[in-house]
Amino acid sequence: MSSILSNEQLAAASLSALPKIGPKRLTTILKYHDPQTAWAVVQGRAKPHVVVAALMQENGLGQMWRANATLSLQQQILGRCKKASIHVALISEENYPRCLKNDISPPAVLFYQGDLQALATRRVGMIGTRSATASGRYMTSHLAFELAMNGVCVISGLARGIDAWAHHGVLRAREKKSASAIAAAPVGVVASGLDYVYPKEHADLWRNVAQAGALVSESPPGAPPEAFRFPLRNRILAALSEVLVVVESKDRGGSMITVDEAQKRDITVLAVPGSPRNIASAGTNMLVQQGCLPVVNVDDILVALGLDNRRANDNSFDPRPRLAESDAHVVAMMVGAPFTLDEFVMRTGVPLLEAAICLGRLEALGWVINNSGWWEVIEFGQRYS
Amino acid sequence: MFASVRSATLLGVRGSRVDVEVHAGIGLPGFTVVGQPDEVCRESRDRVRAALLSCGLPWPTRRVTVNLAPTGDRKSGACLDLAIAIGLLAAQEVVAIDALANFAFVAELGLDGSLRPVRGATPLVLALTDRMAVVAPENLAEASAATPAQVYSAKNLRDVVECLSRRADWQCSKSFDLNSGESTSLNRDVGADATALNSRDLADVQGQPVARRALEIAAAGAHHLLLVGPPGAGKTMLAERLVGLLPPLTDDEAISTTMVHSSVQLESPNAGLIRRAPYRAPHHSSSMVSMVGGGTALMRPGEISLASNGVLFLDELGEFAPSVLDALRQPLEQGIVRLARARTSVVMPAKFLLVAATNPCPCGEGTPGVCTCDDAARARYLRRFSGPLLDRFDLRVAVSRPNTNELLSPERGESTSEVAKRVANARQIAFARFKCANSALTREQLDAVAPLSKKAEQRLRRELEAGHLTGRGYHRVRRVARTVADLNGAPEVVDDAHLNLALMMRVDLASGLRSRELVF
Repeated sequence: MSSILSNEQLAAASLSALPKIGPKRLTTILKYHDPQTAWAVVQGRAKPHVVVAALMQENGLGQMWRANATLSLQQQILGRCKKASIHVALISEENYPRCLKNDISPPAVLFYQGDLQALATRRVGMIGTRSATASGRYMTSHLAFELAMNGVCVISGLARGIDAWAHHGVLRAREKKSASAIAAAPVGVVASGLDYVYPKEHADLWRNVAQAGALVSESPPGAPPEAFRFPLRNRILAALSEVLVVVESKDRGGSMITVDEAQKRDITVLAVPGSPRNIASAGTNMLVQQGCLPVVNVDDILVALGLDNRRANDNSFDPRPRLAESDAHVVAMMVGAPFTLDEFVMRTGVPLLEAAICLGRLEALGWVINNSGWWEVIEFGQRYS
Repeated sequence: MFASVRSATLLGVRGSRVDVEVHAGIGLPGFTVVGQPDEVCRESRDRVRAALLSCGLPWPTRRVTVNLAPTGDRKSGACLDLAIAIGLLAAQEVVAIDALANFAFVAELGLDGSLRPVRGATPLVLALTDRMAVVAPENLAEASAATPAQVYSAKNLRDVVECLSRRADWQCSKSFDLNSGESTSLNRDVGADATALNSRDLADVQGQPVARRALEIAAAGAHHLLLVGPPGAGKTMLAERLVGLLPPLTDDEAISTTMVHSSVQLESPNAGLIRRAPYRAPHHSSSMVSMVGGGTALMRPGEISLASNGVLFLDELGEFAPSVLDALRQPLEQGIVRLARARTSVVMPAKFLLVAATNPCPCGEGTPGVCTCDDAARARYLRRFSGPLLDRFDLRVAVSRPNTNELLSPERGESTSEVAKRVANARQIAFARFKCANSALTREQLDAVAPLSKKAEQRLRRELEAGHLTGRGYHRVRRVARTVADLNGAPEVVDDAHLNLALMMRVDLASGLRSRELVF
């Protein structure tokens, strides 16, 4: 019928596009029927298995599905897949990611762009808040960069904030290494359909990730980013990771759902600790308190994966010049949370004019950064003291 | 019979002379006003008639034509009432026509014949300096605020007739002399809450060293100021305290400001010359016309003219209609606003110091990590301010909430009077150079008076190469740095420190949204 999807895959994909068919119901149906029969069942052309029949009795699901399971739905799915070159992996198939197959609740149908081979290496999930501080963003892309350089696949959700910066780091590593050896590929796990870019401004990032590695989603093409899809996405993200790193997170939110999913699966969770003053680090500090190992540099993640960390050390070099004693003192005082010029003057007691010179100098050396009026100390390792 | 009486009407913030010509001739009794009167002006017929009869003065039983010359301009308002009444009396020979030659009349009439105050007494009388102006008693102080001539007044129409016939004496204003000590008794502040504004001292501001310094620089160099900060950071509090730092108005400024304020009539009966910088804080729902001025016939001055020589404070800058904000751009450059309508065009002063306050983002917090807005929402928010408008703020300062220690600290900051001294000093240095504030220095003047030290030059070069500064921004930074240096007693060379502070008071609101080259 077509080159991109087999009949089986198309039937399964169409099933997943039916209304109110969550991963659980889909799994149940595909457990008792092969995809093409299942499609015939929901269309009313075949006799359902007893369990499936009972399922279809619930809340008039069967009728709803029968009304929606049309040829045009199938053609629509096929068209979208062709247009955005979206492939399908069924749980019964060979190319289905092995790490998902043994999961406690694997998606029966997986849509993907790019190459799933990207997952055939060591895998680290990186997650965090959407409103990150500058040092959180730097730390994320730095860690992701180092991981990719060490051949570790970085998995992230492609949301705003930390997620996006993780992939920025990976893509940068691929750019840098393309001459000699290829750095590990990025993998994005998204909540909406693969042809529905969300957030919109990440269109380039989606494309680049799909080109360099793979983009994975459980939702059929065209599915909008509805709220219920995000926790489901987080479960896949956790399931794909061997180690989950939380960079910056508030004490509630999507990142914490992913952490719960990871803990259900006995996956190691690492957290990047932050200053107690920094609200964006409240969640990660809480995780550290609860016993998660802290991440100070990339070695910690590599060790958690059981990898050799010697190569990483070559890259974990801070090229910034050492600071004079007085500057180092000031940096040590201000490190942690973002601050305004006001706070700087008040906390350090340096007169305003001198403070201006001091911050100007530190900015030129790359020790602080100014974002819309808020300053932040950028730290790697402990070089400032 | 025919009589001609001098009066004036208001156009924008200036008075323009009007000759009220009255002709009472043979024909059916009737009364027509010609010469483009507006509705209020045409209704004067009924007021004048009632006033004359109330005072026991005759109403002509002939055909009366009143012509308002020059006929080409539109006349508005009730300020011609008294002139029409006097004209009618002269046409009936109740008052001698010769007696009117030196007089001009500017007042509204009540039905009982009393003289009522009118809007714009100051500019109206200023347009009639060659005559002896007669105004309502309540207008006397306001009318004589800016004119060198004496101004006369009487209680009602009857008294005016008596005085004209020399059977009674006029009520006179004190003669006005800008340089005499006496005129200070007439000096006044503007607005209903002027006294409240006076009592607002900079010493009340706890902490906020940067914002304080920004106010000082803004006042000293007339640099427009944008305060960015979360709710409760004290942005409004700071803006209100800026007027106190400005020096008293010069004579020319005082006259121009008094004229503007008089023409919208905000004044109390004992009003005099405005000597203190005005402070205006229009609400963000203000319309375009209320901000820049206008109207169909009468071209009323807007908030920007009312704030002329003082401070215009726009709180919640992002909530103002974009069209209103962009309309400020031309007045900001030129110091005047030129309004044209089909029938008229006027020029009004608009030399104000713009202070605006805004939240950094929709949630208001701004602090990275605390702010709950995503980048897209923040970008949308920032799109409300056009680049050219933001560019006109020489000073853009992040203001943070004072913390508990500062709030509870019994220590008071520097008071307004102390800071105002430094400001006055710096202004003096600046005006001694080119007779203008530092913000108005041209490029050539800048090169002459603001040479950069070697270090400062390096710093600027770095900013320019990094793309943080545009060509225009470069000059603006140098102007601010000039002011900082003036305030710090360095009238010659602009040093590294001055420049750094100028750069730091130029927050780029969008810089947090740009992804930058990463440092590894």
